[in-house]
Amino acid sequence: MRTLLQSVQLIDPSSAFHLQRKNILFDNDKISQITDLKPEADEMIDCARYSLSAGWFDMRCYIPAGQEHKEDFETASRAAQAGGFTELAILPNTNPVLQTKESLQYVKNISKNLPVRFYPIAAVSLNCEGKEMTEMIDLHEAGAVAFSDGINPINNNKLIINTLEYLQPLSQKLILWAMDSKLSQNGQMHEGIESTYLGLKGIPTIAEKIAIRTALELLEYAGGTIHFSCISSAEAVELIRQAKAEGKNITADVAAYHLAFTDADLKDFDTNLKVNPPLRTKNDRKALLEGLADGTIDAVVSGHIPQDTESKRLEYDLAEFGMIGLETAFPSLQSFGKANFSLTQIVEKLAINPRKILNLPIPKIAEGERLNFTLFDPLQEWIFSENDIFSKSRNTPFVGMKLQGKVLRTFFSQ
Amino acid sequence: MLSVNHLLGIKDLTRPDIELILETAERFKEVLNRPIKKVPSLRDITIANVFFENSTRTRLSFELAEKRLSADVINFAASSSSVKKGETLLDTVNNILAMKVDMIVIRHSSVGAPHFLAKNIKATIVNAGDGTHEHPTQALLDSYSIKEKLGTVENKKIAIIGDISHSRVALSNIFALQKQGAEVMVCGPATLIPKYIKHLGVKVEHNIMNALRWCDVANVLRIQLERQQGKSFPSLREYALYFGINKQRLESLDKKIVIMHPGPINRGIELTSDVADSEHSIILDQVENGVAVRMAVLYLFAEKIKPQ
Repeated sequence: MRTLLQSVQLIDPSSAFHLQRKNILFDNDKISQITDLKPEADEMIDCARYSLSAGWFDMRCYIPAGQEHKEDFETASRAAQAGGFTELAILPNTNPVLQTKESLQYVKNISKNLPVRFYPIAAVSLNCEGKEMTEMIDLHEAGAVAFSDGINPINNNKLIINTLEYLQPLSQKLILWAMDSKLSQNGQMHEGIESTYLGLKGIPTIAEKIAIRTALELLEYAGGTIHFSCISSAEAVELIRQAKAEGKNITADVAAYHLAFTDADLKDFDTNLKVNPPLRTKNDRKALLEGLADGTIDAVVSGHIPQDTESKRLEYDLAEFGMIGLETAFPSLQSFGKANFSLTQIVEKLAINPRKILNLPIPKIAEGERLNFTLFDPLQEWIFSENDIFSKSRNTPFVGMKLQGKVLRTFFSQ
Repeated sequence: MLSVNHLLGIKDLTRPDIELILETAERFKEVLNRPIKKVPSLRDITIANVFFENSTRTRLSFELAEKRLSADVINFAASSSSVKKGETLLDTVNNILAMKVDMIVIRHSSVGAPHFLAKNIKATIVNAGDGTHEHPTQALLDSYSIKEKLGTVENKKIAIIGDISHSRVALSNIFALQKQGAEVMVCGPATLIPKYIKHLGVKVEHNIMNALRWCDVANVLRIQLERQQGKSFPSLREYALYFGINKQRLESLDKKIVIMHPGPINRGIELTSDVADSEHSIILDQVENGVAVRMAVLYLFAEKIKPQ
């Protein structure tokens, strides 16, 4: 099967053709030609409005294995594909938890028949309970791409120190979701004017700030490297900016939907907007965009957390946290961030930096390379509808919203 | 006509809405003092009082208001029945609606539960208290009582005293009083006052005497021991000592202020008995006015579903 992408814009800073329009011929599972000529092909795609980049990589995707009514690997792979992702790192908070060789092997094997590749992030602590360490060397050998307790914050300084020390010889990364659980306890949304107005218990910014500060101190003491996942506040951005300036070995990401919504959108108690870390203020959103633009925040993640109707169509405080995010990650980044950064930067945040952070190879748009690419239209405006959801769960507030930027297709060969 | 289709919160009401409710309540108060206290206004309306949280006075007050208006009334207390069997709020209420009910009066421990129902079912919703959010009929009866006592709410200084963080009465009162042009202060231990409350345009005070000296009306809240998540103050003894209102404190003022309380009172904690039962207090007037105000609310919303 030969597919010709006609006049497609290459977004690949490593290529001599970066930002140029070329005809690209895919021959089965490889790029066979990048040319100005028009070679014969079985399928021709007019790409005059489209761009092609390395396939996107999601560093924070939650697949609630053990709760297949919410999502399974197959539905997640279709949602990922629709969102332009070809590779994803899976959080360990599945049932069973990703803390044994076998469970890691399962995640790696399951991709074989799917249009995406899943990488396991192994648990830091047994059952992600923040107490006992998992067998990290064994999990490293079994193919863990990083270590994290995923959607459970770690509030155990000794465990963080031990993990940082233990992981260093393995060149493995600790991914932290920074949140002080005591300060965020029973919180339902960002603590601020809006939560006061709505009478809902808040999750204060300081819960995130204090956890990041603590982690930075622990990092200084223990050495190693930390990736801060899903940061949400202006204060967090500033702390990370300063720490990076001081040369600390850290990276950070933000969930795409944190760029699209704020706490003010919760006025109607839409449980689809109930996420953790919570949507914060306009000012925080602005800081997140600035942090992305100046490189303080390295990557954008889907923050995909599927929840079924039964977990969401409830009284606000009884509803579960989480939003699906794979299908809408790029359009939210493009719609809400396009004034702040270029297409090249967007591709860095979605495709290049996540792989750099996890030490994985970055797909190149070059002859002979295996297919691992995303084709997208950065300018197309469209209205996100129920039909655009491929996840098994439908917990998204984007339905009915006008967005800019659309993924057309991914090309991926295992 | 009211500008809204449900009474979810004072937040959604306009000043004319509030004035219309209070004027209508005045007419019903007059009815309540007649030898025959019943009017046929809601004869073809069925109202369900659905209470997912314990309540005595609010439920009685609503039920009485409904009966005085000749509505058909059913009561449902869910804390011990279906909820424990795992039925969702939506299912419970839809089951009640299947029996052809026009209005739902709901009390629920979850913030936004009435809003959730209003979005998902076809019936008029009246919020009788949702978690720590709003208690609109309480705020309306409080305004009515202030107006009755002082002639107007406009330009009056109202101090709301006690546990503001866990209080739906406080939030609804702040909205209602501000919409009518009153000045509002909240007073209590700093740990019981939401950090961002100043942004709602209220004064914040932590000294009870300063609050009493400033205000025309002190609306004293119940210390909600059942809603404390993690202890926010050391002891009831200390609270009573430093934030409780007693006769001595009132007598040291060079003016007479009005004392209100939404009930039930923890006597000896937020109010001493000699204050609760004194001439300062309009606590029992509040209870009486509660029925008239709730009649007005039900009547005005019924008017919207079945124009006569």
